Amino acid sequence: MEQKIEQLKRDAAEAIKKTVADLDALNDIRVKYLGKKGELTSILRGMSKLSKEERPRIGQIVNEARSKIEALIVEKNEELKEEALAQRLKNEKIDVTLPGRQVPLGHLHPLTITLNRIKNIFMDLGFTIAEGPEIERDYFNFEALNLPKDHPARDMQDSFYITEDILMRTQTSPVQARTMQSHEPDSPIRIIAPGRVYRRDDYDATHSPMFTQVEGLVIDKGISLADLKGTLELVLHQIFNKDVGVRFRPSFFPFTEPSAEVDISCVMCHGQGCRVCKGTGWLEILGAGMVHPHVLEMSGYNPEKVSGFAFGMGVERIAMLCYGVDDLRLFYDNDMRFLRQF
Amino acid sequence: MQVSITWLKDYIDFEETPEELADKLTMAGVPVENVIRADEGLDKVVTGRIERITKHPDSDHLQICTMNVGTAETLQIVTGAPNVAEGQIVPVAMLGAHLPNGLKISKSKLRGVASMGMLCSAGELKLDLENLPEEQQTGIYILPMDTPIGLSAKEVLGLDDVVLEFELTANRGDCFSVFGLVREVAVLTGNMPHWPEIEVKEDAPAETASFIKIGIADEDLCARFSARILKNVKIGPSPEWMQKRLNGAGIRAINNVVDVTNFVMIELGQPMHAYDYDEISGQSLTVRRAVQGEELHTLDDSSRRAKGGELVVADAEKAAGLAGVMGGLETEITGKTTTVVLESASFNGPSIRRTSRACGLHSEASGRFERGVDVKETQRALNRAAQLLQNMGACNVCKGILDVYPHPADQVKIIFSVEQINRRLGTEISGNQMTGILQSLGFETEELTDGKYLVRVPSWRNDVTCMEDLSEEIARIYGFENIHATLMGGKVMQGGQSAEQDFIDNIKNALSSLGMSEELSFSFTHPSMFDKLNIPADSQLRQAIPIMNPLTDEYPLVRTTLLSSIFENTIRNFSRKNEDVRLFEVAPVFFPKALPVTEQPDEVLKLAGLITGRRALVGWNQDKEYVDFFDIKGIVEELLVQLKISNYTVEAGEHYAMHPGKTAIFKKGRETIATLGEVHPAVAENLGITKKMYIFEMDVATLMKYTATHFTYTQLPKYPAISRDLAMLVDEAVSAADIEKTIAKNAGKYFKEISLFDVYTGKQIENGKKSLAFTMQFQAVDKTLTDEQADVAFQSILKAVEKEYNAVLRT
Repeated sequence: MEQKIEQLKRDAAEAIKKTVADLDALNDIRVKYLGKKGELTSILRGMSKLSKEERPRIGQIVNEARSKIEALIVEKNEELKEEALAQRLKNEKIDVTLPGRQVPLGHLHPLTITLNRIKNIFMDLGFTIAEGPEIERDYFNFEALNLPKDHPARDMQDSFYITEDILMRTQTSPVQARTMQSHEPDSPIRIIAPGRVYRRDDYDATHSPMFTQVEGLVIDKGISLADLKGTLELVLHQIFNKDVGVRFRPSFFPFTEPSAEVDISCVMCHGQGCRVCKGTGWLEILGAGMVHPHVLEMSGYNPEKVSGFAFGMGVERIAMLCYGVDDLRLFYDNDMRFLRQF
Repeated sequence: MQVSITWLKDYIDFEETPEELADKLTMAGVPVENVIRADEGLDKVVTGRIERITKHPDSDHLQICTMNVGTAETLQIVTGAPNVAEGQIVPVAMLGAHLPNGLKISKSKLRGVASMGMLCSAGELKLDLENLPEEQQTGIYILPMDTPIGLSAKEVLGLDDVVLEFELTANRGDCFSVFGLVREVAVLTGNMPHWPEIEVKEDAPAETASFIKIGIADEDLCARFSARILKNVKIGPSPEWMQKRLNGAGIRAINNVVDVTNFVMIELGQPMHAYDYDEISGQSLTVRRAVQGEELHTLDDSSRRAKGGELVVADAEKAAGLAGVMGGLETEITGKTTTVVLESASFNGPSIRRTSRACGLHSEASGRFERGVDVKETQRALNRAAQLLQNMGACNVCKGILDVYPHPADQVKIIFSVEQINRRLGTEISGNQMTGILQSLGFETEELTDGKYLVRVPSWRNDVTCMEDLSEEIARIYGFENIHATLMGGKVMQGGQSAEQDFIDNIKNALSSLGMSEELSFSFTHPSMFDKLNIPADSQLRQAIPIMNPLTDEYPLVRTTLLSSIFENTIRNFSRKNEDVRLFEVAPVFFPKALPVTEQPDEVLKLAGLITGRRALVGWNQDKEYVDFFDIKGIVEELLVQLKISNYTVEAGEHYAMHPGKTAIFKKGRETIATLGEVHPAVAENLGITKKMYIFEMDVATLMKYTATHFTYTQLPKYPAISRDLAMLVDEAVSAADIEKTIAKNAGKYFKEISLFDVYTGKQIENGKKSLAFTMQFQAVDKTLTDEQADVAFQSILKAVEKEYNAVLRT
């Protein structure tokens, strides 16, 4: 009896060992030995024929054999499953270098992205976004900004005229005059006016008859040139980066006094001098100044009580520097291959 | 304005290199745009004598020159120039020289004969050809016979002078002169200028007044008119030192009299004019407005008819010149001139500006008058010019100056307080420092009480009129870089943007997330676009505003529709083989209140979009279908979801640029919120496009009117839904939207939603019919529905569609 059990155990182990890549065959083995009609089971059934003394001993042997076979089956089962999985994974291998299925995304225009950045920086500093008409009266575009007719500074901004008195605005500064005139006199103002402006410039790599400006105006008691410096330095460090050098050069605008041109150290060559900065190491990026008392007076503010600063920057220029775009016309060509990059 | 370092150094010493000086001036608000210097490559160009010329053995036109360049050994140089002769002194580019035209000189062989350099022409040395005699403009540049050999040609030719080119601001008229720039250099370097002594010996016996009368008829346009008479004038070239300085200033030498007037203009900033006295009729010169139709015959030998109002200087008969812009041809200085009237006047800037713009004549003189000249300088300028010509032995000077100065200008006085200026600048500059700066710039200061000062503005600074102007003078000399940056104090202010600005951002974000890319285009258009777009003859869209002075013929109008721009961008993309285009733009269009325009137009913010090409990007595993009507409709529907606009209706409609059978109009009540469709084939053909394109157009304000301002979420259902599919055959003409409406109306209270999932015509479907398949959801908020409840609803739907549309259930 014991020998028979031992034999069965050996046979089963042998059979299990031989089984390859076939879970069904393994199941057959289980049925053959351990199933209801299996060989080991039938030994257990035949136990009644054994003597009372032998029964527990043989029972134990059978159970041990059963456990042993079961363990072997489980083990083999794991092994086969692993093999099967490995095989499946092998069969399912794909060429992962093939391009992925693209989701057709749309893109905001790079000038919109740049303008949004600028707007957010200013909004965080407590500035409100102000807007005004693009076709403007000469009064708001020039005269209210201390630029009377026949002033030589009008040459700086050659204009598209609709009538003698109505023109395509050459700057967004008219929004400043309109904002002041709509405010309680001498009340504080902190705005930026982004928008399209128009100048009669030939269309080339750095000029366009239409471009985008952001102009700003701050008015309050005790605003100084030092505040202008601090605010614009902060903004330029956020637009570009903290390491960018900023310098203020005295200049002239009819609507500010004192006036300044603001340069940043060249972002292409880091101030070493290159083609982009014409070898100077500096790039002109902003015009700014303390609001001229005439401008305040013309819009009902009292220059004895309040002071302010104003500034203006070109979004195209900033976007060109940020993205390394060397031809402004790319922004208005709207070539899909260009737009998709942003 | 440009001036050479040599000229500046005539009146002030400084140690700074030209670049350092340029930087100091720039940082003080006198911007130097360029420092122009001869290339260093010219160092290897020297003067040399042609000792011997032999013929080239293998060439008819080449000659071999043996050159003495001051070294022990001679150089053999082959040249092709025909104008060389033995004994001439010429510029020799030796090995290693790098000429301004980019040519690098190296050892070479010309037809087998070695050449150790090159003889140079004036052009190759970048000499100003216009200022050279004709025979020197071509061929090898021949130097005077007494020129020492072996010298740097740079030195000999004056190419070693460095020129500063200024980009002066409109307010600094005073810096348009050597004297003005020297004043600035003096302040910035701390060195004292050494001004020339201006003295004139009146060595002609006659009185100026006995020759001529001068007058000002229009005092509003001429503040001062001064004149002198020069007798026994000998016209000839001006001395070399003067020509060199004029060259550096970019002015061509003409003759001694004209050169002197130009020299004085650049030196003092006072424009001058010289008349040939004998050509002035009636011995009088009067400044007056031109009469309409009057002939103006100017130095450039062009004749114009006056519009009236231009300022002229006229003799007894006619205008003898456009005042301050250009002299007249008849009274021009010529070789025959013997008596000269020198004019030095102060004309009104805006008037000069108008005239010079109207005539398209911009001169050195008009530019100075526009910015304003120093009214006190007229006499000094006359004396300086007379002195210079006298020193050349070119004239005798008559006694006295004629000077008409009806209303002498008062000196401008400004009172400022130290505190006031420090508050404006955010600085702590002392009163002494402030007055020190102002005095160095020529302002007189007088201390009052309480930290206040009285300032007298020098006559040349007509741009300084108020305390704020003084603050700029102080700041620019104190140095902007020395002002500490601070952040503004005051009340905290809340930043932000308007609801409309937010809404526009939402539109752009939604459309870009829907696969559309944003374009930005010019607000201009061309009238031919109206025809191409099929815009009806009586449409308001044709009432576009014309620009008085358009840049080109391409864009004479301000646009009334974004479609013109979006099509232009699409055409450009097609021409570059980008055939998958998805563009949108949010921008204003412009409608005049009346034409011709009398007041500001209405600016209406519009949204337009276009799609064409493949549905997906090209790829091995991508959908290869092309977009159709339902793609653009899907984009618009999803956009409206994003914008929280719901409960609109959709109907077939019309649009001038769209296919009449493929145009959908979205409406809220009776108001159109969106129009979309396929581009009309005729419009596409007009635009030269054969591909199908789909467009939409919306009005931003209308969209914004219907956006839900307050949005709350819809609760998720607690109980499961039951779905039922319904496929039916109906006539092809029946609209799916109508069937959906009928279904919704008859679907009972548990009806949740419906969607069309299949439309089919073709095989197995009889002609004139189509198959539509819907799936419907039924759901209760408070319980799980039974199949029976869904079936009841389904039967009621079925009955309704059978009755209303003769629908036949497909099974």
